Amino acid sequence: MTSETDHSPGAHGLGEAVAARIERRWATLSIVIIGVLVGLAAFFGIYHTTMPQGRVETADPTTLHLSGEFVESNLGSVLEVDGSVTVRAIGQQYSFTPQCLVVPAETPITIRATSADVVHGFLIEGTNINTMLVPGYVSDLPISFKAPGEHMMPCQEFCGIGHQGMWGKVKVVDQTTFRNMAASKRRLTCVD
Amino acid sequence: MSEDELYSPRNPWFSISVGVTAAIAVLSAIVGLIWLPLLQPNLKLAGIWDAICSAAGVPNLPRPAAAVPPAFKTSNVVVTPEMLTRQDQVSIGRGATLAQRCAICHGPQGVSDANSPNLAGQYAAVTYKELNDFKTGARVNVVMSPFAANMADQDMRDVALYYAYLPRVPSSQVNPNLPAPAIVVTGAPMRNIPPCGSCHGEIDIKAGSPWLGGQSAVYIKAQLQAFASGTRRNDISEQMRNIARQMTAEEIDQVARYYEAQP
Repeated sequence: MTSETDHSPGAHGLGEAVAARIERRWATLSIVIIGVLVGLAAFFGIYHTTMPQGRVETADPTTLHLSGEFVESNLGSVLEVDGSVTVRAIGQQYSFTPQCLVVPAETPITIRATSADVVHGFLIEGTNINTMLVPGYVSDLPISFKAPGEHMMPCQEFCGIGHQGMWGKVKVVDQTTFRNMAASKRRLTCVD
Repeated sequence: MSEDELYSPRNPWFSISVGVTAAIAVLSAIVGLIWLPLLQPNLKLAGIWDAICSAAGVPNLPRPAAAVPPAFKTSNVVVTPEMLTRQDQVSIGRGATLAQRCAICHGPQGVSDANSPNLAGQYAAVTYKELNDFKTGARVNVVMSPFAANMADQDMRDVALYYAYLPRVPSSQVNPNLPAPAIVVTGAPMRNIPPCGSCHGEIDIKAGSPWLGGQSAVYIKAQLQAFASGTRRNDISEQMRNIARQMTAEEIDQVARYYEAQP
């Protein structure tokens, strides 16, 4: 600091002291605001109320049907050896394949989905599943359904002129029904 | 107060503000890049370095999971909007010669009344894809499969470009007064059906979708029924089967009659 603050009994020194105090308060306030925001982000992350995807995975949208996990015959639900269920789906102009996903209740489920053309939205009504299907990237979401029932799954991102006709269904069945279905088929859907 | 002293560690305002900012940054980085990723058990992270990389968005190749192979042939054509859109005179010329063997069903000008598809003016990507699917067996037809079986890839491109080059000829059934059915212009959103026109022209065109104007109603109806029943499955990732399955027999009739009457 300069010598001004050291020996300034006059009005000038008082002004400077007031300014410094106010400055300190504002600085403290802004630090507190930043701290709260960081804390909020951490809180939501810990309690999974928002689920930013932890890993970036890529998939070529033009060749999904040639090889890899998104070939037509591999779409749908599969019961994994650890008892969890993986559901694979794609969004394309203007439908989801499969059109109807079948999953068991009270079971950890991983949804893996991607887009074959443009950006689509993936939303399951009644749950906090709401993400984008971006061509080139795989969306991977953990979810669990409490009770059997049916949920709508509309595309919630304008994807073109046929967007309003693009939706699917999620059918939640009880665990026994699902296990019986899984015993006879390797990939399950509820498309009729 | 000179510049020197303002940006100096001896200035408590400077050292404290820089120190606090750096502390917040480091703390947030530890929370965001290490702590939060490690709290997600389904990520199966290998360690701190893996957590940092995945949180920072380093792309991972999808895990090699055993995919169930298809029980039937699916189309192996990679359709892009740019596909076969460039006119190539040599290709068109070769295609014209090759197309002579197609004329008996598809007409010398790519138009016929034989209820086989009219190819004149059809998008090259469409003709090429169908030929390729006939060749690989993704689409099966007693007449077309043997024809396509012996065609080289370049032959199929040439024929496709030739037919795309031919002018569309209005069919004998043109009736501009026929009103467009609801399914063509608005679809049936409540039944998961987008408008036909959002892919097949009129409203918008999706790469790989055929132009349907002037096609035989018999042909369109037969294809929609085949998609609905699953006897035709060369549409990539079920894009047409998803739609045809939901259509009523009446809608299929309306669509077939409407497109036949279009230029």
